[in-house]
Amino acid sequence: MTLRYRAHPELRLTALEGEGVVLHLGSRRYFSVNETGLAILEAIKPSATIAELVTMLTGRFEVTTEQAEQSVRAFLDRCLTSKLVEEVAG
Amino acid sequence: MEVRLGQPDSAEGDPRPTYRQGNVLIRAGGTRADPVRLDWDDAPASASVDGSTGRATMTLSPEACEQLDDCLRTFGMTVLIFLVRRIGWHHVHAATAVDPKGRGWLLAGNAHAGKSTTTALLASRGWAVGSDDISFLAADRQDVVVHAFRSQIAIRPGGRDLLAREGGACLESRDKTGFWPEELGGRWQPTVRPDILLFPVIGDARTSIEPLRPIHVLAELVRWSAWVVLEPALAQGHLDLINRLARQGRGFRLTLGRDLFGDPAVLDTIIPT
Repeated sequence: MTLRYRAHPELRLTALEGEGVVLHLGSRRYFSVNETGLAILEAIKPSATIAELVTMLTGRFEVTTEQAEQSVRAFLDRCLTSKLVEEVAG
Repeated sequence: MEVRLGQPDSAEGDPRPTYRQGNVLIRAGGTRADPVRLDWDDAPASASVDGSTGRATMTLSPEACEQLDDCLRTFGMTVLIFLVRRIGWHHVHAATAVDPKGRGWLLAGNAHAGKSTTTALLASRGWAVGSDDISFLAADRQDVVVHAFRSQIAIRPGGRDLLAREGGACLESRDKTGFWPEELGGRWQPTVRPDILLFPVIGDARTSIEPLRPIHVLAELVRWSAWVVLEPALAQGHLDLINRLARQGRGFRLTLGRDLFGDPAVLDTIIPT
């Protein structure tokens, strides 16, 4: 089974000039996200695997697969902690 | 808005999540058409804002009526904020003004950021000002405009001393003095199209500004629009409006120094053209 990731139902996102502000309605917390984070959050609607996110990043930014995977995993970890993202069975 | 006198019915059994805004407990959720239930902490009072009809019914107990000024200023205002969201007016903690060059200003921040004292200072220089705290964002064709709730500019004792102004109305329960803009030499401006978005802080140094990147302006506007999170069905629309405002204006961190009160003309020229 491959894990997929999707935006938490209580997440709201607004983007400006390649960056974004993410709001969690339940916790009433908000976060700023950079260009990479915004790209990941937009890509997980409706859901995506880590491999799909890595492919998306390497296609959009000048990064190696290893760098992209490291970024994706680190970002998803933070988002899972803050309940901005949730895991779903693939 | 209909106001009834009597004992409010109980909210027990309402399974929706609750949110707290000051001394008001809010139950919201579901679809845009679902009513919002509000209860006041200080005395029995409740309200229902009907999303489908755009009507609010407020039920005030005799105990609430004994504190009518406080009840209307806090609870009644919260009900109003939920009611006008139905017509696309979204509350933001902000003051508004129009500078001598005709540019609209919006000053957003918390209760101790200096909004009211600055608004009073601007009014005393003859500027047109709107609210010192209660403002509503709204779309107007391609623009975002801000409607001001007309009320007295409420200044704390320290601000009044700095302003060196006699008179005003004693707002005893809030330990503040209230001035209408006209009493200070200004005039009231009900609606402003903001070109300048300011996020004031009180500092010890000289009054200064620091440009903010658009993403930081967006984050600040979200921060001072706490209502954005209280009603899931309307949150994205509120965020989209804030986003449009962040694109519309230039944003600055405004550090308010004591020099401002010796030389208030600094505000006339502090924002570059």
